[in-house]
Amino acid sequence: MMVTARRLRSIGWMATLVVCVALVMVLAFRVNALRSQVHQSDAKIVALKQETMYLETEFETRANQQQLKNWNDVEFGYVAPVATQYLDNERELASYAKPVEAGAPAPIRVASADDAVVAAAAFPAMVSPLTGRPVSEASDAVDHVAVTAPVAHDDSDAPRPAHKVAAASGLAGLGDRLATVHHAARDSAKTPAHKVAAKGLAAKDKGSKARDAKALAAKKAAGQKVKSARAPVEKSPSRAFAGRAVRPKDRFASADRTSAVGHRHAGNGTPLIKLALKDAKTVK
Amino acid sequence: MNATSPPGAPNASRPSAIGPSAISGATATGRLYLANLRQRSLQTARKRLMWVVVGFVFFTLTAFVRIGQLGFVSQTPDHGAAADALVPPRAEITDRNGVPLARAFPAYSLWFNPKALGPKGQPLVKTPEEVARALVQIFPDEDYADLFAKLKAGKPTYLRRRVLPEEANKIFALGEPALEFPRETQRFYPQGSLAAHVLGYVDEEGHGKLGMEEVLDARLIDPAHRAEPVALSIDARAQGAMEDELSRGMLETHAKGAAGIILDVDTGEVIALASLPSFDPNRGDLARNALVFNRASNQVYELGSTFKPFTIASAIDAGVVTDMAVRYPATPLKIDGFTIHDSHAFGASLNVPEALIHSSNIVTAQVADKLGGQRLRDTMIALGMNARPTIELPAKGFPIWPKGEWPRLRTMTVSYGHGIAVTPLHLAAGYAALVNGGIWRPTTLFKVDPAHAPEGRRVFQASTSARIRQLLRLIVVDGTGKKADASGFRVGGKTGSAEKAGSHGSGYRNKTAIIATFAAAFPMDRPRYVVIAMLDEPQATQLTSGQRTAAWNTAPVVSRVIARTGPLLGVVPDGRRDVDVSDLTPLVANGDGE
Repeated sequence: MMVTARRLRSIGWMATLVVCVALVMVLAFRVNALRSQVHQSDAKIVALKQETMYLETEFETRANQQQLKNWNDVEFGYVAPVATQYLDNERELASYAKPVEAGAPAPIRVASADDAVVAAAAFPAMVSPLTGRPVSEASDAVDHVAVTAPVAHDDSDAPRPAHKVAAASGLAGLGDRLATVHHAARDSAKTPAHKVAAKGLAAKDKGSKARDAKALAAKKAAGQKVKSARAPVEKSPSRAFAGRAVRPKDRFASADRTSAVGHRHAGNGTPLIKLALKDAKTVK
Repeated sequence: MNATSPPGAPNASRPSAIGPSAISGATATGRLYLANLRQRSLQTARKRLMWVVVGFVFFTLTAFVRIGQLGFVSQTPDHGAAADALVPPRAEITDRNGVPLARAFPAYSLWFNPKALGPKGQPLVKTPEEVARALVQIFPDEDYADLFAKLKAGKPTYLRRRVLPEEANKIFALGEPALEFPRETQRFYPQGSLAAHVLGYVDEEGHGKLGMEEVLDARLIDPAHRAEPVALSIDARAQGAMEDELSRGMLETHAKGAAGIILDVDTGEVIALASLPSFDPNRGDLARNALVFNRASNQVYELGSTFKPFTIASAIDAGVVTDMAVRYPATPLKIDGFTIHDSHAFGASLNVPEALIHSSNIVTAQVADKLGGQRLRDTMIALGMNARPTIELPAKGFPIWPKGEWPRLRTMTVSYGHGIAVTPLHLAAGYAALVNGGIWRPTTLFKVDPAHAPEGRRVFQASTSARIRQLLRLIVVDGTGKKADASGFRVGGKTGSAEKAGSHGSGYRNKTAIIATFAAAFPMDRPRYVVIAMLDEPQATQLTSGQRTAAWNTAPVVSRVIARTGPLLGVVPDGRRDVDVSDLTPLVANGDGE
């Protein structure tokens, strides 16, 4: 028994030795396998880099200055931009916006989906999670314009919740409401903007026509822009208006025009902000 | 029995293992034997144990050493060989924005291997005539007779050094195994002939010739540095625009040649340097002809009226001209039996601004006369007009420089750019000093960090430079340089139309052979770049309204170059800015002239 134990022990040692040797060999094989894999990948990387360089060079060759010039002469006819095509800043860009004058023709509106259909489509109402009442985009718009309008807020007058203001709203009355905001801007000292907006909501029953959803979107966007465009306008009048003094009540309108430029250029060509200004006039 | 005991058993177990036999033989000899046996067994056991331990230690050490070696010594598989494959045999040359202008490229070449079909087989499947004809169809510029002779001779040789992939495909379609396309690393210029005179080319031995390839030869093939590309100061886009407009100007006027330079006035960096007609550095084998001659840095010309601003600046600097309103007689000036004329009469008298606007030789000569030869000469020396231009290129022309004291007549002719011949690069460096506040800096083809621009040397006072900026702008607004006025770029400059001297000192007999130069800088309210355009012997054509002077041919070239390159070089055109010339405007009567 003793002998067996001793033998077992020595066999155990031997086995351990063999296992260690085997492990070392496995490690070595594994390392070598990995190494050759890395070598292969390396070679592949080099081949791909060379291929990239090859393609790059081919591209550079096919698109070299002389070739581009030849293409331009035959196909494109691009010329260097002239001084008038450069704008220094947003103010200069804004100077291209033309103020709407009295008696100006109605802005051309491009064909799109029938507004009446859009208005009648009755988008599913968004319900406020707090009150369970429908929250329309109109309330957002009113909220937003109220914030951005240059109105000296009467602090004592607690602002009314947006959803209350918008409770009775529908797409039909949007034009009135948005237009009234301009009115608010002009008489800013007298009436806080959100009150005015509410007044506008109330006025929707007075036979105002259905306004299109596009005007809503446009006005909303314009309202957002007003916030950013206002500051520079107030600091110093833009070059376009430098000739005449900018009256305080004109300022806001100027800012509106400023922001309109971007929309006109970015959108489908419809001078959206002009539309809104026109509405302002009709309501006034 | 003892022999059967396990060799590696521990010593403690030994007495019990041998115990019974020791008791059975109870003699002294037996005991001794047994003790001896025990001793030996113990030794054997220890020895074996030692071997086992050594084995363990050995393998453990081996394992640790291996792990250590893997972990610390041997880096991740040797990248050297693979990375070496990516290092080009000759470093790349790029423009200032990293656009490759010259690179080592494994291009195909066309090799004729007559032994491809076996040592005894026919070299070609088809007849040499057919193959040669097919090859000429693929390469129209190849010579049929030459190809035919090579194919018929049946000796291994290059048929063409560089073959494009699609051409290789066409050759492959011929089905001739003897036509092989080994890929060889060659020097390739992706932009073709663009900036050929700046770059140069590489010969068959792999050494650079002519341009920066020659200058940088050692650096480009240095194993330690060839992985990093060398950036030049050239802007490939500006260079392209310059070459394009110059070649247009050449075609419009049937000129013999043209040169153009765009120079950064603050750092002396050459943004574009063009010499036309040019050559294709990709065909270095064909580049051994007159086309490799660099007109911008190697050819010297009498650059004519473009020198007048140097004279005026020198006079203002020296206090000779203090009042711009002073009028000088403008009637032909007789001196030492030689009469100085203007292109046409400008009335009885002109002031300095008018003299520059109308480019009056007579008034400039009088100003130079008052200034004196020595001071004009000193200015010219300070502007580097008496030595080869400072540029890295090997092609640097030595000016024709009047030696010794300048007599009165020489001073007067030099004042309007005759009797002294320099390269257009000299002129560019001089104009940079005129407009940048008065500092002359060496021109360079290497990128310069604006913060570490060479100090240069002061040639003119800053106030003189400011005055010259006004005058140069006035020339473009009201004078001979009107056609150079790129809208919004506030260009200022001076025309120069110098008759070429006849051969063997025969004077200026050929009135139709002129060098038309326009030297401009922009924007004049804060000059950034000097632009020089020069046409060699432009002809009067319909496109130049029947004129051959610089106002009609090189000024429009400069205007178009500035309009195209200005925005690329960071100058935004602005119609509301300009250098203030209101103090000079009242002194100028309206009128044109050359």
